[in-house]
Amino acid sequence: MVCRREREEMKLKLTWRIWILIICLFFSFLTVFGIPPSFLQKGVLITSVESNSTAFEQGLRQGQIITKIDSQQVSSLNDFTASLHGKFDSNESIKLIITTKEGEVILYSNKTPQITVSEIPKTKIKLGLDLAGGSRALVKAQDFDLDSSAVRDLVDITNNRLNEFGISDVKVVPVSDLSGNNFMLVEIAGATPKDLQDILAKQGKFEAKIGNDTVFIGGKDRDIASVSRNAQDSGIERCGESGGSYFCRFRFNIYLSEEAAKRHANITAGLDIDPENPEYLSKKLDLYLDDKLVDSLFIGVSLKGQVTTQVMISGSGTGVTEQDAFTDAQNSMHKLQTILITGSLPYKLEIVKLDTISPLLGKEFTKSILLAGIAALLVVSIIVFARYRKFKSSLALLFTSFSEIIIILGIASLIQWNLDLPSIAGILATIGTGIDQQIIIMDETKQEKYLSLKERMKRAFAIILGAYFTGLVAMIPLMWAGAGLLKGFAVTTIIGITTGVLITRPAFTDMMKKIGE
Amino acid sequence: MKEKIVAFHDKYYKFLLAIPISFLLFSFIYIGFFYYKNNDIMYKDISLTGGTSAIIYEKINSNELKQFLFDKLEDVSIKEISDLVTQEQKAVIIETRSSAEETKDVLEEYLGHKLTEENSSFEFTGSSLSESFYKQLLLAMVFAFVFMAIVIFIMFRIFVPSAAVVLSAFADILMTLVAVNLFGMKISTAGIVAFLMLIGYSVDTDILLTNRVLKRKEGSLNHKIFGAFKTGMTMTLTAIAAVGVALFIVKSFSVVLTQIFSILIIGLLFDILNTWVTNVSIIKWYVEEKEKK
Repeated sequence: MVCRREREEMKLKLTWRIWILIICLFFSFLTVFGIPPSFLQKGVLITSVESNSTAFEQGLRQGQIITKIDSQQVSSLNDFTASLHGKFDSNESIKLIITTKEGEVILYSNKTPQITVSEIPKTKIKLGLDLAGGSRALVKAQDFDLDSSAVRDLVDITNNRLNEFGISDVKVVPVSDLSGNNFMLVEIAGATPKDLQDILAKQGKFEAKIGNDTVFIGGKDRDIASVSRNAQDSGIERCGESGGSYFCRFRFNIYLSEEAAKRHANITAGLDIDPENPEYLSKKLDLYLDDKLVDSLFIGVSLKGQVTTQVMISGSGTGVTEQDAFTDAQNSMHKLQTILITGSLPYKLEIVKLDTISPLLGKEFTKSILLAGIAALLVVSIIVFARYRKFKSSLALLFTSFSEIIIILGIASLIQWNLDLPSIAGILATIGTGIDQQIIIMDETKQEKYLSLKERMKRAFAIILGAYFTGLVAMIPLMWAGAGLLKGFAVTTIIGITTGVLITRPAFTDMMKKIGE
Repeated sequence: MKEKIVAFHDKYYKFLLAIPISFLLFSFIYIGFFYYKNNDIMYKDISLTGGTSAIIYEKINSNELKQFLFDKLEDVSIKEISDLVTQEQKAVIIETRSSAEETKDVLEEYLGHKLTEENSSFEFTGSSLSESFYKQLLLAMVFAFVFMAIVIFIMFRIFVPSAAVVLSAFADILMTLVAVNLFGMKISTAGIVAFLMLIGYSVDTDILLTNRVLKRKEGSLNHKIFGAFKTGMTMTLTAIAAVGVALFIVKSFSVVLTQIFSILIIGLLFDILNTWVTNVSIIKWYVEEKEKK
């Protein structure tokens, strides 16, 4: 009987406001840790799969979780390397059964699967570049006013180029700032691709000229019908040595549009045969990339005046060793192909901000921030306890602030917000103002005892709402200032103070009422 | 004891205003001279002037490095990052007005090995961009302040008390800026964010005070002010303690957070003066004048 009454009292203690807080807290835990909680999952996460590899063809994809290789359980990175160790030492093809959450994949290959893996992240919280590592570039047009539609085109072309280069996990978005300037923001998580600057800032103007006449220009919708990329029609032709350094020649076929082919025929029709080299015409086909001569090709006599759509493009790479020259030629070929496919931009680009951040410090950094947060909360609770001498109230304050952090993190993972340093500063700011407001509530409950509790709480809320609106409006300009690079601060602060005013503060008020009664 | 303080305050609160007024005067003159000398209102770091910030994750003698970089790069400054517990050096931060490529080349020359994303981080901001960032962040500050002022005026709807809140917040920010300049702190984008945070923190206590004084009917004026003072001081001191502890922990690690926390602490200290002297004196004066009529 006594027990039942106590239970009824317990029930009474939780008002609907407190229930809302508990429900929000529960859902936030779910969004932060995922269902089932990711820290309980065993295995390794596939972070990338080489396209065109056996692994890809057999259905392994980024984001899958490998739990078993052959009969060996895989629950850590060490397990993963151990299970593959020694298997591909001989050059013979072997059978490998990879078990993922989605099912089994069987690979026959003489090479280790072309995938990269990592430990399963413990939470769904996404860290920003400045904490997780990666690269970020802010690009603008030189001497050209990018309007919002031009910047969208730029984003499309850049996306294409990055795809052509096989760069995944990349975010390309248009951003604008308070003065109405438009930029393109490129963010790449993880390793920074080599030549990123080149890929991004290249105008990519490709021109093929005979003398001063343009035969064709790059871009699939313009003069180029298609670009060969298969091994048969493209590749490194030969390598050689000259004067102590090596060079390699590459070549690939392209197919011109009907119109460009006719232009080619008209121009070549007017050319003479080279008297010194009677197999070729007197002028060469010059290939220009961003106004720089890349290569000059002889034009065979048989092509004179002919409408031909197939044209061979060639060029070379150099290096100190043959291997270097080979890689250089391959890269140049890749770049040229990409530019021929994606076409050029009508303006030059300038990278105005380029950050490449190592993932090395991030982990320790996150640890030190957590430590700072915990220490700060501890100090706050000691002060509050010393001032009010009430254990329950101090505990309630600590619990509320802690809930607030969890709810902010929950919402951040729900909207897939990348937590960067400004965002974390925002969370800290919110917790600070949150605690201040809870102190106001605690003091109001103690004052003017002849007034009803409800009346006193109403008064506390008048102050809190005032503080809320001043905080809210102060954050709004920051959403745009500085091309939005400090947006994170505004976003987490707004999430935080709004959560405060709608969820945690009302719940805390009810807790105080209950404790007060 | 309490009566004595009350009697003192009743007699001299108007004179107490001389303290913030002299502070404010000094601040205005100082900022005026500062602007005349530097053509700006603060020292800016490379995130606002343009340049490169490089972090190398190695134990490097920063003095020797500085000697080496001194005439090779523009405006070099070097900071060390160390482990919180062991105090062991973990990395160095090199800041310079030179470009990222130039910086990288010179650093590689000094170190004798390549810098990759494994062992270093580079952040480069072009000077025209950072200049526009700076202008926009200042603009954002002004907007934030104006928006805040509008909300305050709508909330209290009486000129003098509202103006007192806005003035206190303004004095708070100005005095903090002066202190930061006196310390020779170079402000980064994060530093400006800290000033934005300060707007929020400093008006909180002012709103509390004004609300208690204007909207409560019970108790004497002094009683209301003293009640607000107790709550407000708990708020500010708690905040200072929390930020102080956090500052102590991140100091060896994050330059960005160190600056934010330092500016907040300075601002919160000035907030004590501006809320409990500036704002209290003005609102007490206002209420007493009104009661006389």
